[in-house]
Amino acid sequence: MSDARSLLILYGSQSGNSEEVAIEAGKESSKYNLHATVKAMDEVSVSDIVGNTRIMICCSTWGDGEQPDNAEEFWEVVNSGDIPNLSTVNFSVLALGDSSYDLFCESGKEWDNWFESKGANRIHPRVDCDVDFEEPAKIWMDATLELLGIVEVESPMMVKTVSDSKLENQDTTIEESSDNNVISYSNEVSIEKFLESGDRNLSILFGSQSGNSEELAAKIAKKSSKYGLHGSVFDMDGFDFNSLSNHKRVLIICSTWGEGEMPDNAEELWKAAIEGTAPKLNGINYSVLSLGDSSYDLFCQSGKDWDRRFEELGAKRLVNRVDCDVDYESMATQWSLDALASMAAVDETGNFHEERLEMIRNFATGSDAVGASGEDGFHVPSLISVNLPVEVTIFRYDPEINSSGKDTWLCSLPGHISVLEVLRLLKNTHDGSLTFRDGHSNDPNTALSINGRLILPGSLRLDSIKSKEDGKINLRIDPLPCFRVVRDLLVDTWPLERNRESSKPWMIAATREGKSTSQGPIGVMTQTLATYLHSIKDYQSSVLLHASSDTTPFSESYVGPSLIVSAWARRNDPRISDTKKKEIDEFIGSNSGIKAETDFSSIRRQDANNIAISGALLNARTSALSQSSFNGRHGKHAWWYTWSIKSSGKVNDTVLYRQVLGPLGLLSNLFSGVTARMLFGFTRTGGNMVNDGLGMVLPPAGIGKMPRQFNSSVNNHHEVIAIFNELDGRF
Amino acid sequence: MPLKYAYHPGNVSHSSAPEVKDTMFPIAKTLGIDLTIMEGATSCGAGIIRQVNNRLQLTLNARTFAMAESLGLDILTPCAATAGNLNEDLQTLLKDSILLAEINSILAKTCGLEFKGGVKVHHLLHVLVEEVGLDKIESKVKNPLNFKIAGYYGPNMQQSGMCGEDDAFDPSYLEDLIQAIGGNAVSWDSRTQSVGTPGLLSEEPTVLRQSANVILDAKDEGAEIIVSACNLSHTILDVYQGKASRFSERPINIPIIHMTEMIDFAFGHHNTRLAQLRTRIAVIGN
Repeated sequence: MSDARSLLILYGSQSGNSEEVAIEAGKESSKYNLHATVKAMDEVSVSDIVGNTRIMICCSTWGDGEQPDNAEEFWEVVNSGDIPNLSTVNFSVLALGDSSYDLFCESGKEWDNWFESKGANRIHPRVDCDVDFEEPAKIWMDATLELLGIVEVESPMMVKTVSDSKLENQDTTIEESSDNNVISYSNEVSIEKFLESGDRNLSILFGSQSGNSEELAAKIAKKSSKYGLHGSVFDMDGFDFNSLSNHKRVLIICSTWGEGEMPDNAEELWKAAIEGTAPKLNGINYSVLSLGDSSYDLFCQSGKDWDRRFEELGAKRLVNRVDCDVDYESMATQWSLDALASMAAVDETGNFHEERLEMIRNFATGSDAVGASGEDGFHVPSLISVNLPVEVTIFRYDPEINSSGKDTWLCSLPGHISVLEVLRLLKNTHDGSLTFRDGHSNDPNTALSINGRLILPGSLRLDSIKSKEDGKINLRIDPLPCFRVVRDLLVDTWPLERNRESSKPWMIAATREGKSTSQGPIGVMTQTLATYLHSIKDYQSSVLLHASSDTTPFSESYVGPSLIVSAWARRNDPRISDTKKKEIDEFIGSNSGIKAETDFSSIRRQDANNIAISGALLNARTSALSQSSFNGRHGKHAWWYTWSIKSSGKVNDTVLYRQVLGPLGLLSNLFSGVTARMLFGFTRTGGNMVNDGLGMVLPPAGIGKMPRQFNSSVNNHHEVIAIFNELDGRF
Repeated sequence: MPLKYAYHPGNVSHSSAPEVKDTMFPIAKTLGIDLTIMEGATSCGAGIIRQVNNRLQLTLNARTFAMAESLGLDILTPCAATAGNLNEDLQTLLKDSILLAEINSILAKTCGLEFKGGVKVHHLLHVLVEEVGLDKIESKVKNPLNFKIAGYYGPNMQQSGMCGEDDAFDPSYLEDLIQAIGGNAVSWDSRTQSVGTPGLLSEEPTVLRQSANVILDAKDEGAEIIVSACNLSHTILDVYQGKASRFSERPINIPIIHMTEMIDFAFGHHNTRLAQLRTRIAVIGN
């Protein structure tokens, strides 16, 4: 009968992969305070399923969608008889398969559907894994275990996605899980009881010639108490082989002598062991540490012999034999840690509880936290990874029905995974139609907007995102602005590339003298200039830089900052020809060039590299305005703004409007309501409107004397004038 | 100990945004913030002077920093554009000691001043949340502004290292402040988007599209009013609202007020203006 924290992990395996995942899940389950039992499908009955509230299924698919051999019979059983309702069962399925077959992951799908048809609650969606199953299987395992860990036995937990998307007509309810932030990962009390109950004897047999095996046996016996074991060391010389049947836990440490011979003190026992009358060793759990010298042909032969013979006699090998060379200490220590933990996981009846192995390790190392000192060397503390609650909201767009919206998922995810991995996970487990540009973590084409920041999602870990007060991370994922959305998060960057082509970004170099070097004449540039040119081209992604401007989505002609800065770098390359430089200047100074950028601050703030880039864009703008002699609206705006500061130290709206907009511009403002709003305070809240309005409507305002009528100068205005005179004689 | 700051009013509170001037000082008095007006401070340049001559803007702002430093005070401003521009130039000067030395030589020659680097620039929002405290603000509220309010930050001050402990890209300080004065903060994506202020007079169609987009986003999220932490952006969002509506398929009428007004009204300093605001919301609000 299962207890309140029990978990049944079933595997149907052909090649061993499902079994491997199931065993790993069993180990991990202790972190979630679950007591897992891992069983092959040919080891269970229907009553096992009915009696459990938490079930994980790992099942591979064999041939053309067939159940693996060890699951076939059970599959027939569950589909032949009357199966009671499984409404109290919470389950999730991991399906392993090979997508090159038509019926990919069919067995897992069948189990998934079967549990659902019996009324069981799918606590986590099925995950279908291809041949590279390790990563998705781990994610499934962690997420499912966490959800199962917070399930109350009486009430299966429901987890649903939330969607306000117009694309889907699914249910849009959220059902809260209770106390899902309160997960106990500690099971020390039950482990302590386990390690104290019943027969805890451990027998350590040594066969030694030089004394190394004996010394090791003594050390391990001493250490065994930390694992709740009572270690006894036995010299093989004089040990009665027939008495072994009384032992449940046996460790053998044996060296090899001469050409693969037993050491002297082990010869007699070995003779007894290989006799045909030797007793069966069923019920014995054992492991062998073998010492030897690899310069001999029959390296560690004695240990290999003991290992094979114990297995032949029916003993159960808990930890694989380790063969040590003359420098044996490190390997022997590692073996002893594994072997002691495994032996400690054998209960009084001789059954091995693999699911408790990790807890026992934690228990033992936790009580022995000696750091770098001690004979065991470093004790690395166990690290427990706690999943983070994450609310993921993703922009969705379906071009077929021209409909957009947002989908939200409530997830529990490991903090170390990147946002790109979150997207892959959602696509693989929840919605295969989710569309985004995938790639490696630094792929410049994967760029997205995440919580308002433009970034490569593969470089952003979940645990680097600031959580809200309730500990939850809100993840808002949108497509890059500035580009037409193809579907969901996928944007069409082709217009940027077309503009790049139009900008003729290639170099046309001037004929010039090279510097004579050992490699022949070669063009050079100063280190300062080279560093500058590199810094302004050192951006992660041209689409990211393009999208960082808040202007580009709203300008009809602006080519965007990435093309401008590329051109500016090319223009300042000393190798460029005068003709090409002039061509680039015309490009930068055109209406679609840098003048069209309305605000550098949106570019500057996106990235540390963008500070240098926005500086370069500013230089490009200054260059473009200078070349046009500050004529046109862009030039006049900058010129007269600066002029008004010299005039009084303060901005003078009157001067600006008059000089930049001119009479037609003022009339436009008059008829469009701008002036009215200023003058009459249409949306104001009672401030003094007269000063504002006068500046807008009175033509004399631009003559030059009027500003002082409205603007008093700052204190020590002469200092401002002196600075202007010192730095810029044009004003 | 009262909080003391050297006050920089921003670029337009003396002209097109007198409401800021009217409301800043009453709220400072209520909250015990001691403001020393820097009568000699020039415009921050609004990112425009540097388009003509970057070193000129750096020097003018270095003069402002030196004045605050001589007072032994950090600078406080209610304008996000001013906070952003001053901070940008401050960081440029502090990172480049050679440049700072060159500019100090000009200051010494023209003004007899020196900037040693001992000044910080704060936007009012960050001082209110981090120094004054939202609890204190909440305790001073007499007229809870129970509207659906969208807080607009703009991009200028939302830069790493310039916005206190707030998130540069996903900020919450203004929403926290709105909640503290009794409002219902609206969550919206465009709150840090630029409305293209420096390009208003030269790239008007683009700027008006930017502005219309921001306003529509706020309205779509149910806002009845937008509160701007940027005095310059307020001009576009408010005064140019009618003109911007030409670039929108839907009406974009919505009242826009300065952040200082919102706090001032909540504190009960200008009840007549609050009454006007309530009327405007009733008539043209979302």
